[in-house]
Amino acid sequence: MLKFDEVGGSLLKYDPENRLHRFVRSFVITVTSLIMLVLAWWVGALALDITYLPTPARVYEAFWRLIEVGDVVTGLTLQDHIMASLNRFAGGFFIAFAVAVPLGLIMGYSRTAEEFSNPIIEVLRPIAPMAWAPLFILALGVVAGPMMVVFIGVFFPLLSNTVFGVKKIDPHMIDAARTLGANGLQTFYKVMLPCTIPYIMNGVKIGLGIGWMCIVAAEMIMAKGGGVGYFILNNAQQIGNWPNVFVGLIIVSFLGIITTGIAERVHKMIISRMGME
Amino acid sequence: MSEHLEIKGLKKVFKTDDDEVVAIEDFSLDVKKGELISLLGPSGCGKTTILRLIAGLIEPTDGEILVAGKSVSGPGSDRGMVFQEFALFPWRSVRKNIEFGLELSGTPKAERRARASEYLEMVGLDRFADARVHELSGGMKQRVGIARALANDPEVLLMDEPFGALDAQTRNIMQKELLKIIEKTDKTILFVTHSVDEAVFLSDRIVVLTKRPATIKEIIEVPWPRPRDRASPEVTAMRKQILDELEKENVMIG
Repeated sequence: MLKFDEVGGSLLKYDPENRLHRFVRSFVITVTSLIMLVLAWWVGALALDITYLPTPARVYEAFWRLIEVGDVVTGLTLQDHIMASLNRFAGGFFIAFAVAVPLGLIMGYSRTAEEFSNPIIEVLRPIAPMAWAPLFILALGVVAGPMMVVFIGVFFPLLSNTVFGVKKIDPHMIDAARTLGANGLQTFYKVMLPCTIPYIMNGVKIGLGIGWMCIVAAEMIMAKGGGVGYFILNNAQQIGNWPNVFVGLIIVSFLGIITTGIAERVHKMIISRMGME
Repeated sequence: MSEHLEIKGLKKVFKTDDDEVVAIEDFSLDVKKGELISLLGPSGCGKTTILRLIAGLIEPTDGEILVAGKSVSGPGSDRGMVFQEFALFPWRSVRKNIEFGLELSGTPKAERRARASEYLEMVGLDRFADARVHELSGGMKQRVGIARALANDPEVLLMDEPFGALDAQTRNIMQKELLKIIEKTDKTILFVTHSVDEAVFLSDRIVVLTKRPATIKEIIEVPWPRPRDRASPEVTAMRKQILDELEKENVMIG
């Protein structure tokens, strides 16, 4: 017969084979880690007592005020800023996807195409996406301009991952398809394309991270137009509303985690659905 | 009986910037319908190159290949190939892998399914029709590889060390399975191997190749009906005779 404290003991003992145990363990560690960050911030804010570092409580108040009434400098609510940023981000991302993936497939497939494109790409790649921002924003406006900055940020990692994916295709698979009667076009979309998808998704993941940094930075040099970056700069520069600035920073972090987190999930899902782990 | 596969004066030279490697020299062979021929030779002698030439994956420098009277130029579904590396499509289920060739030729869906089921059963994988490739063992993977190639009903089946990546026991099982499949389909098979045991166990004729450049050293008829007893004195004697020859070949040049 099982004694009571034996049952209790086995409940409290961590079992690495148990999925629930693993989940609870990592959840507890993650939450503790974040609480430590907030506590350190709080203690630091109280100890330093300077306007540049508001306490979490004041930032929390500022957050709700921004949701309900908006900020005085730009006259927009936090939701408006977030939507403005996400719109530009999505636009830039989709344009980059539509250009980089087909181009990467062609470059991986044809040596001539790669040799022709490489010099152009190598000349443009070292230019930081933000270096284009003044030009794009003045030439294309406050919506399409930052979009193009995101485009630059997403384009290169996506392109190089796609090219890499095509080159990593197992040549036996191509041989198999051809001996089964596949012509050039069928080999391309029935074998090469599926083989490349996990690599494309990896490029998407990296591109989203870089693109998100680009959008916030680009919005900081606009004179109007809204957006989280625009909101942060104006609240800092115009009125020195530091709680609002901190709300902006937290939003940037949060949205970045969400976008890359979604991409990570999709990547994993595709890999396991395609049986390619 | 007419020759089903005719290879005439095949030659293949691989050229690099400052080097020329003659891989195959003056290789001629006639194969009858339903025959199983093994190509046996020292590793790196160009056995696989011969198969790739017949498959049309590479072009010969000289010579001609005729399959059922038709000259080979480029790959085609009349010549199926089975790879040592399996080369299955991991994003497709077992059934979808087998249907691949039929899909390419535009075969209607109902017929595709029926044909795939027929070959799934033949290779004993009917219970694994919806499994993913990564869920299968090596032996099962190669069953899919064989079924996939057969589903196109090719004139010739080219097998490139198909059981080379399998452990000894699975390899023996697969050899017996292959014999069963041959009985049902009566396929003409060209089988590349470096295992003398495998060649003697399976083949109607064994083509022993020389070291690079590969030419035919000897063609040995294996007269006994299948299935054969690996341990019988005559099979053992033949194995020893071929092994000795191969050893001489290695010592002579290497």
